[in-house]
Amino acid sequence: MFLNHKFLSLALYAVLFFGITSCNKDDDSTIPTIASIAVTNSDFSTLEAAAVQGGVAVILSNPNAGDPSGDYTVFAPNNAAFARLGLNTGDDLAVLNDAFLTSTLLYHVSNGNLEGESIVAGSTSASALGPDRRFIQRDGDTYINGSKILATDVKAENGTVHVIDKVLLATGADIVQSALALKDAKVFVVPELSFLVEALIYADLVGALVAAPGSPSFTVFAPTDAAFKQLGVDLGVALEVPADIRKLPKETIAAVLLNHVVADGGKFTSEMSDNTVMPLGGTALTLGAFTNGVLSVKGKTNAIVANMVIPDVQTTNGIVHVIDRVLLP
Amino acid sequence: MKKVCFFSTIACVVLSFSVQAQSPLSGFMNGKGKGTFAVSHSFERYDEVLLVPNDAKGVPVFEEVTINSSSLYASYGLSDRFDVVLGLPYIKTEGNASQTVLNELGYENERSGVQDLSMFVKYNPLSLELGESRLHFIVGAGLKTPLGDYKVDEGLQSILAIGNRATSFNGLAIAQLQTSSGVFLTTQAGYSLRNNEVPNALMGEIKVGYAGSRFYADVWYAGQVSDGGVNILAEGFVGFFPATDVTYNRAGLNVYVPIVGGFGVSGGVSQYLSGRNIGKSTGFSGSLVYSF
Repeated sequence: MFLNHKFLSLALYAVLFFGITSCNKDDDSTIPTIASIAVTNSDFSTLEAAAVQGGVAVILSNPNAGDPSGDYTVFAPNNAAFARLGLNTGDDLAVLNDAFLTSTLLYHVSNGNLEGESIVAGSTSASALGPDRRFIQRDGDTYINGSKILATDVKAENGTVHVIDKVLLATGADIVQSALALKDAKVFVVPELSFLVEALIYADLVGALVAAPGSPSFTVFAPTDAAFKQLGVDLGVALEVPADIRKLPKETIAAVLLNHVVADGGKFTSEMSDNTVMPLGGTALTLGAFTNGVLSVKGKTNAIVANMVIPDVQTTNGIVHVIDRVLLP
Repeated sequence: MKKVCFFSTIACVVLSFSVQAQSPLSGFMNGKGKGTFAVSHSFERYDEVLLVPNDAKGVPVFEEVTINSSSLYASYGLSDRFDVVLGLPYIKTEGNASQTVLNELGYENERSGVQDLSMFVKYNPLSLELGESRLHFIVGAGLKTPLGDYKVDEGLQSILAIGNRATSFNGLAIAQLQTSSGVFLTTQAGYSLRNNEVPNALMGEIKVGYAGSRFYADVWYAGQVSDGGVNILAEGFVGFFPATDVTYNRAGLNVYVPIVGGFGVSGGVSQYLSGRNIGKSTGFSGSLVYSF
């Protein structure tokens, strides 16, 4: 009968194959790679855009060829962390120099698996970029540099992800070179800290902030170009371009600059509290309360406090916090 | 021997070749000396990407992808039992990235061109009578090969690639039950041997429909299971999308209405249901068909 016909079995095979196509391979046991976590978790949409623009999406999809474990540990800034720097979308990331974006991403990555419970306050961890990060304990929270660790041990196929509340920034260069990099649009595509660099050169203070073997490390409060322009307004001396700094006496500029440098070895916001600190110039600065990862700073004769616009930038000889006002002694 | 599908028979042949249906071949034969030409347009859109293990809401870089495709089809019966079928699409895939992001990455929001030529033969070696119904067995074989010079190796830009540049040899087995009322049931299974790092794939489809004198309608459920391949953003992924394991289920429906002479029009919708390494598209299509 036709039931035995071999061609009928073809039809049955068709139904069988239909059944096969309708059943899924077992995907439930697969854990995502670090790249997959960034792309499929909506809390990391800015990180996803950064990873794509920084060219690291494929690297973070695969095992770490540079480590026997094959794993990476990534401290991942969430969307709120990027938003602190005004970076909310892929479009906003265009303000960052491409090479700097890639370097910044690599600063969040290290080789191997660093589990949350193995993070020891006071220890350091080398990044894939080169510079170290430092772990700090404060009020029951653990910080990596100035960034609070919000969640630990998100497991990935190729390593471990911890979530942080601020983007980690390191220039890999000393304070002067870092300021020059900002001035030369190697950090943001728009130059920044141009006035500060000009002032340092004018006041002959460049040498003090260059790293050399055995040289001290500092905490530096670096006023933005807008802060210097505002100073011009406040003093009644137009400071429209960096060279205008030279309209003011050299000693005045030197005193103002020394008001921004503290020889304390370099402190992250996570290590700072609402007290006074003594800069090189000799007139105390007042710090405000540690709130949401930042503190305000006030010079002795400032009427209005300065706020940190980019805190916790790691350099080879200290930590730079970019602020929005010039601190006056 | 009552023919249960009159002028819509021809449409049946063509409709199954539309971009919306899964399989390039239907369970209907043209008949000797009879044939069809058709021009078809389809539109698909997705913003969710099916990935392993979790899906992405929002296509990376491009946010949302739209695919417009215009195709030419031709089918001809060399004998009552032997058909040849040809198809050629022109595809335009568009993304929705901002100009800032496009400038940053050096990408564009469009990729378009002539895609792959399909050439199939269908052979109906056996048909059986089961009471008032007929059961047809058909085997098909075909080649699909890129005709245009579209690119597929541009990294994440190739999220918008219009194809995978594989040349494939495809074998299909079809069984179709046609009842005297016009209702029909088709099942088919096939295997596609693919080159260019694109994994081979198993394909299947089940379709139930009505082929009558005034109109034709069908609903179908189809799938593909790739035999190997990498998952996007998983180990082994190097940014080359053709090498990915594209596996999915989709479903849809088609309707065809004859107009005048040998002309008719059809419309269809389709939806990807589940799968991996593919956009979860919703699609619409329409065709103008001429049969002789």
